[in-house]
Amino acid sequence: MDESLTAIEPKQRSFGGGEPPAPPVQPTPPIGSNAWLAVLIFLGAEAMFFAGLIGAYIVFRVGSPIWPPPFQPRLPIATTGVNTLILIASAVTVRLALKAVIAGNRKKLILMLGVTAMLGSIFLAVQGLEWIRLIHFGLTVSSSVYGGLFYMLIGFHGLHVLGALIWLLIVFWLAKQGRFSKERHVGLQTCSMYWTFVVGLWPLLYGLVYLL
Amino acid sequence: MKLKILLGLSGAFTLLVYLPAIANACAVCWAGDGGPTDNAFNWSVLFLMAAPYTVVGSIAAWLFCTYRRSAAKRAKNEAKQPLVRLALNPEDSGR
Repeated sequence: MDESLTAIEPKQRSFGGGEPPAPPVQPTPPIGSNAWLAVLIFLGAEAMFFAGLIGAYIVFRVGSPIWPPPFQPRLPIATTGVNTLILIASAVTVRLALKAVIAGNRKKLILMLGVTAMLGSIFLAVQGLEWIRLIHFGLTVSSSVYGGLFYMLIGFHGLHVLGALIWLLIVFWLAKQGRFSKERHVGLQTCSMYWTFVVGLWPLLYGLVYLL
Repeated sequence: MKLKILLGLSGAFTLLVYLPAIANACAVCWAGDGGPTDNAFNWSVLFLMAAPYTVVGSIAAWLFCTYRRSAAKRAKNEAKQPLVRLALNPEDSGR
């Protein structure tokens, strides 16, 4: 009896005598990794931190009838303007590095990360040299509110660029070791996000502190 | 006796609280004269008020765009898949 049933079964199935097995359920892939989400939230916190500093700057800047205060050195607008372009160029190269890893082009990835690190280093070096000049001209943290605000805002941004540069150098070293692939490059992606944030913040600070 | 001390202390505290020279209505009342400081606080408050909305809005927009892009990519992949599977597994086609 059992044998007869097994003989009929395939025929029944072909005539619609039973539902075919359901296809395996495919889990929905997450839109981003946990690290990506963590960095996104961290960037939100960083943005609020800088918003606080900018808020303090606005109070003193708008509240002062004469700005910059008398007997204080003027800020190097042209040099810092060129430096701004250098930093913006580094955001383009880090984006190209991300595109290179997605395309599986390891050589271009290493090249673009190297160029980004070089541009970031140039930015920091020029900023450092300008600071030394300003200190020689008498603009220090304690010289006036102007000096205090300048070093606080620009200094914190400089520290962030330094942090991002250290992170970028680690990512560069990992890329040279071949640790990133088309499928796995979260480290590079999060570093690129942070770098883009510090670069995107700079034109705002430059406009606020140097140009207004 | 204890009640008298307590009442006395409460009265003294109440008097201190109501002394007009000590208590200000707000922390920045000294700036409310329509001068540049007043203007400065207004701009700063406006900026700081807008900042959280901008930050949270940007994060939400980023998440939304990433989700939309990911969903579109997934739909594109799934649209291709059944044809391949039907071709490979004739049983699933119901024939």
